[in-house]
Amino acid sequence: MPVVDAPTDSILHALASHGVTRRRFLEFCAATTALLALPQSYAPRIARALEDKKKPTVVWLEFQDCAGNTESFLRAVSPSVGDIVLDVLAVEYHETIMAAAGFQAEAAKDAAVAAGGHIVVVEGSVPTGANGVYCTIGGKSAVQILEEVTAGAAAVITVGTCSSYGGLPAASPNPTGAVGVPELVSGVPVINLPGCPMNVDNMVATIVHFLTFGALPAVDGEGRPLFAYGERIHDHCERRAHFDAGQFAQEWGDEGHRKGWCLYKMGCKGPSTFHNCPSIRWNGGTSWPIGAGHGCVGCSEPAFWDTMTPIYGRLPAPPGFGVTTSVEQIGAGIVGLTAAGFAAHGLIKAGQRKRAHKQDEAPIEIESATADDEEGAGQ
Amino acid sequence: MSHIVVDPITRIEGHLRIEAEVDGGVITDAWSSCTMWRGIEKILNGRDPRDAWYFTQRICGVCTTVHALASVRAVENTLEIVPPLNAQLIRELITATQFVQDHVVHFYHLHALDWVDIVSALDADPAATAKLAGSISNYSRSSEGHFATVKERLAGFVGRGQLGPFTNGYWGHPAYKLPPEGNLLAVSHYLDALEFQRRYIEMHAILGGKNPHLQTYLVGGMAIPIDPNSQNAINAGTIARLRSLLQEGLDFVTQAYIPDLLLVASFYPEWTAIGGGVGNYLAFGDFPEGQQNPSMDPDNLYLPRGIILNKDLSKVVPVVPEKITEYISHSWYSYEGGDGEALPPLEGETTPNYTGPEPPYEQLNTDAKYSWLKSPRYDDLAMEVGPLARMLVAYGSGHKRVQELVGAVLGQLGVGPEALFSTLGRTAARGIETQVLAEHSLTLLDRLTANIDGGDLQIHNGYRWDPKDWPAEASGFGMHEAPRGGLSHWVKIADGKIASYQAVVPSTWNAGPRDTNGVRGAYESALLDTPIADPEKPLEILRTIHSFDPCMACAAH
Amino acid sequence: MTTDATPRPQDEAIERTPSTELVVAKVWELPVRVVHWTIFVSVVVLSFIGFYIGTPFLSTGSDPGFLMGGMRAVHNLAAFTFIAAILARIIWAFTGNKWSHWDQFVPFAKDRRANAKDAFRYYVFLSDDPPHEAGHNALAGATYFVLFTMFLVQVLTGLALLSLESEGFLASTTGWVFSIAPIPWVRFLHHLIMWLTWGFVIHHVYSAWLVDSDAKAGLMSSIFTGWKRLPPEDL
Ligand code: HEM
Ligand code: HEM
Ligand code: NFV
Ligand code: SF4
Ligand code: SF4
Ligand code: F3S
Ligand SMILES: [Mg+2]
Repeated sequence: MPVVDAPTDSILHALASHGVTRRRFLEFCAATTALLALPQSYAPRIARALEDKKKPTVVWLEFQDCAGNTESFLRAVSPSVGDIVLDVLAVEYHETIMAAAGFQAEAAKDAAVAAGGHIVVVEGSVPTGANGVYCTIGGKSAVQILEEVTAGAAAVITVGTCSSYGGLPAASPNPTGAVGVPELVSGVPVINLPGCPMNVDNMVATIVHFLTFGALPAVDGEGRPLFAYGERIHDHCERRAHFDAGQFAQEWGDEGHRKGWCLYKMGCKGPSTFHNCPSIRWNGGTSWPIGAGHGCVGCSEPAFWDTMTPIYGRLPAPPGFGVTTSVEQIGAGIVGLTAAGFAAHGLIKAGQRKRAHKQDEAPIEIESATADDEEGAGQ
Repeated sequence: MSHIVVDPITRIEGHLRIEAEVDGGVITDAWSSCTMWRGIEKILNGRDPRDAWYFTQRICGVCTTVHALASVRAVENTLEIVPPLNAQLIRELITATQFVQDHVVHFYHLHALDWVDIVSALDADPAATAKLAGSISNYSRSSEGHFATVKERLAGFVGRGQLGPFTNGYWGHPAYKLPPEGNLLAVSHYLDALEFQRRYIEMHAILGGKNPHLQTYLVGGMAIPIDPNSQNAINAGTIARLRSLLQEGLDFVTQAYIPDLLLVASFYPEWTAIGGGVGNYLAFGDFPEGQQNPSMDPDNLYLPRGIILNKDLSKVVPVVPEKITEYISHSWYSYEGGDGEALPPLEGETTPNYTGPEPPYEQLNTDAKYSWLKSPRYDDLAMEVGPLARMLVAYGSGHKRVQELVGAVLGQLGVGPEALFSTLGRTAARGIETQVLAEHSLTLLDRLTANIDGGDLQIHNGYRWDPKDWPAEASGFGMHEAPRGGLSHWVKIADGKIASYQAVVPSTWNAGPRDTNGVRGAYESALLDTPIADPEKPLEILRTIHSFDPCMACAAH
Repeated sequence: MTTDATPRPQDEAIERTPSTELVVAKVWELPVRVVHWTIFVSVVVLSFIGFYIGTPFLSTGSDPGFLMGGMRAVHNLAAFTFIAAILARIIWAFTGNKWSHWDQFVPFAKDRRANAKDAFRYYVFLSDDPPHEAGHNALAGATYFVLFTMFLVQVLTGLALLSLESEGFLASTTGWVFSIAPIPWVRFLHHLIMWLTWGFVIHHVYSAWLVDSDAKAGLMSSIFTGWKRLPPEDL
């Protein structure tokens, strides 16, 4: 077991000091390079950056959350959460895991913020309704805390769809006026890692990118890093061949479902969702939702709670109709009503003509002319 | 006399604030307040009942399986759908392993630092630690070299001056009693448990695609297919992998968790007389032994249903779900018929009505409304729910394995059954239950394997999957015994949509504020008479509150 | 091609009919007719396949196939044919004869407003005299305007949906669509417009038949041949 003589600030030394060999460290760097979609020649640069850096301070805020992203964080494999929390980062404030409580906890946060240059991780949405009374910590509202803690920060990372876009609390009718963090933060770079919860591999890669290049990775129109949200679930799904073949599970547990056929007809939202689940998968690459037989719900998309539901329908149900009313039913209704309407119109016109016929003599010449005309036109 | 405020209570899920009066070194009164609310019950209105599990699952990412299960059960009961046996067994397997993972994380990562002084571990002698470890268990990572490495890592960590999550802990507090070697042992297992919990829970990814928030529940069954001849379904290979993970879990509990629990408990005997609480214990029970609906059919549950009143273990009272109500006179809600009354969940209302101080504030007005939690009551009585309630009800009902283990633990600590009604009793009950369920999980896997061997591959009952087969109006409830206690979801369905949804949650039972009659909930009662050595560092409050394993996201939803 | 409103020799016989004095006019030039039927065929194909994409009612079962893949490929092919036809018609609206001109689709001019009023009275049973117009009557023109607007939305949503599969030109030109409506609603709209189109077709064929059977100017056949037979004052 390699033992370091003197404690240093480098992350490599920190990892090495408890038995993470250099090889495992380099493997981690290579894997992260791949995840970030960078050429492998970047791996040594990442390694160097991590070796040189002092542990960056992290303040992890939880607002209107379910701690699902914290739990996801606890599932980190490489480096493990122990490595991250004790050696890679200095997590100075994280309510769910920190030892201090009450004003001592607040003091730890204040000290980290006063030093500046910290990374702020936010989990959960921020309620703006009723002056923020729907979420207070230590007597302060989430809005107030967010403002204090992001001042002087190096970057803000929103973990989970709630924090990125408002998520579940912001789902209709949004009883607390919940919003995502980017709506309230200015002057500090913000990156979104949506997902319900976020996948910790993407969080680790984002932090490594930040430490290596001193900047956050490039993002799409929704503020999500392209390396993790650049492509659709549907385009990398292992069941795509079955989609193209026209092989669909029709019922839960039927032959197609058991054989791993496409879940499109079971309401899968993979065709509308950008996330790298099919490639990195979950829990150390063990599986992922579609791999385990349930369709994607679109959890990394803004407002998916309202736009990707009902879960088992392919398309959203329009307001004012039943929750399971499909566009097919509405469309067929429109066509049916139109047909019925014009049939009625035709009947009335026919009656009108009969009356008109009785009242004045129809010029026979025109009728014959029309008959000729039709012949003529048909030549 | 002084007024203490601990906000935030950390090492829990969510936003909990405790205010307490301290007089003569003991707590004379206490108020428990949850300071966050999202309105998920309101958000559910008008949605497809088949989606409800996915929404309610997000009530909590810690007990990530439990609201999903309570929800599908509620909708199934309402629509009279019976899931197939395979689905029932997979659900139970997921639940049992959720208990094990959740309890291990609670003990090592949320609760341990109340009893373990990290800084004191630096004074430990690795050789003596190895000897201590060997004397309590045959757990493998117990060599002198291993403890030396852990100590070194800790020293490096403290030496760098960036203490991270251990910053500002109550280190050196006189109420810490473990010797340095005990502390070092615990720190080592703190790290091991982090690794263990994440590997163990891969089981949930196998069965449900991911954890947290498994994506596999369905009204009428589960979405993970079973087919011995498919690589995209539960097959022999998956079962072998599950079995090895379950065994690993059982080993960790037997060799690390239980011995560590007993070691810690032996240094804190006074805590078997502190933190008792309301004295009434409610368990809904779970883990059906046959193919049955555990909400409606409470007979023959592996963890039995029942109530213990006034700490009287000789009598287990049957549960009548209709006797459950919720008060809001001290909660930031209003009821149409007046805030003083108690409503049964099927008639329940969730209308926010914040009357507290404008943030930032120093103190709540605890005479008025002071929490986002309602106050659930059973037959107008305050109840404690959770591992202690379950173990007491099982003990009182004559559950063999529970009686055996409770007897063994009490014997080893040299105390009688009355010691169970305490902070330490709660913590011990959680450990005992973890052992019981880690064992039971293997039985569940055996039953699932046998059923698949018999040729049954069904995972979903399609009866009434289609909303056009639903009655125009129906209502019902689903019950589930979650890690933190009895959970019930209550739903009304009209015209294919959710017309009303109410969740009555374990941590709400325990952490709720006073009711209209001024009766305290479990947290508030348990804190009474707790000694406080240093009002600036109220470690004792953390001990008792943590013994309940609070989850405020669950409680307030 | 120019407007051909002068009587042709083979029409002499009809010319001589004293009470009607009808003339024959080449109202729909070839491009208009080709576009019309190209749109018709591609809409049939796009709708059938679109319906399949929305609700895959056929399955290849255990046999490996490329049913959905093939369907989507044909949808793309038909979509680009459709787009080409729409573009051609838009160009023709500025280069074709007066009855194919863009102003026939918006009842702004005074005579078009009057014609719209006549047509309206006819449709709501207030008159049995069908609207007199060599080209589209003003109300029909307006429905085509609505239809073309729907088609433009259909093209836009279709291209935006296509862009989900690829980065690059398509994504950067149509990405803004999703800032107006989230992906599922774009799908919904694309799907809904299919049904609205068929609602239009019912109205369209019925009205054409109705007017034709009252006005007897050869309206129905004109969309195949281009010719209509009308009183000269209608030209
Ligand atoms: C009248 C014309 C059209 C009709 C009736 C039509 C119909 C449809 C329908 C019903 C769908 C299924 C939508 C769903 O349920 O998700 C669809 C999908 C689609 N259409 Fe069209 N469409 C038309 C024109 C176009 C055009 C012009 C394009 C442009 C390229 C296009 C591209 C697409 C694409 C990319 C999809 C999605 C395929 C998928 O998600 O796999 N469509 N179309
Ligand atoms: C998808 C189906 C169809 C569409 C989208 C469609 C669309 C159109 C449009 C846009 C016009 C105006 C022509 C122009 O100015 O370019 C038109 C005219 C016409 N179409 Fe269609 N059409 C369809 C099917 C049919 C069918 C099936 C028939 C008859 C069998 C038909 C008969 C006519 C006639 C008679 C006219 C001339 C009517 C007038 O003067 O207003 N159409 N159609
Ligand atoms: N209280 C609670 Fe839960 C549990 N167990 C559930 O219903 O933690 Ni989040
Ligand atoms: S995004 Fe999902 S997992 Fe994260 S806090 Fe919100 S509900 Fe929980
Ligand atoms: S399962 Fe979903 S994501 Fe995968 S191919 Fe089918 S529709 Fe696409
Ligand atoms: S629901 Fe979420 S976890 Fe991945 S498969 Fe879909 S984006
Ligand atoms: Mg509730």
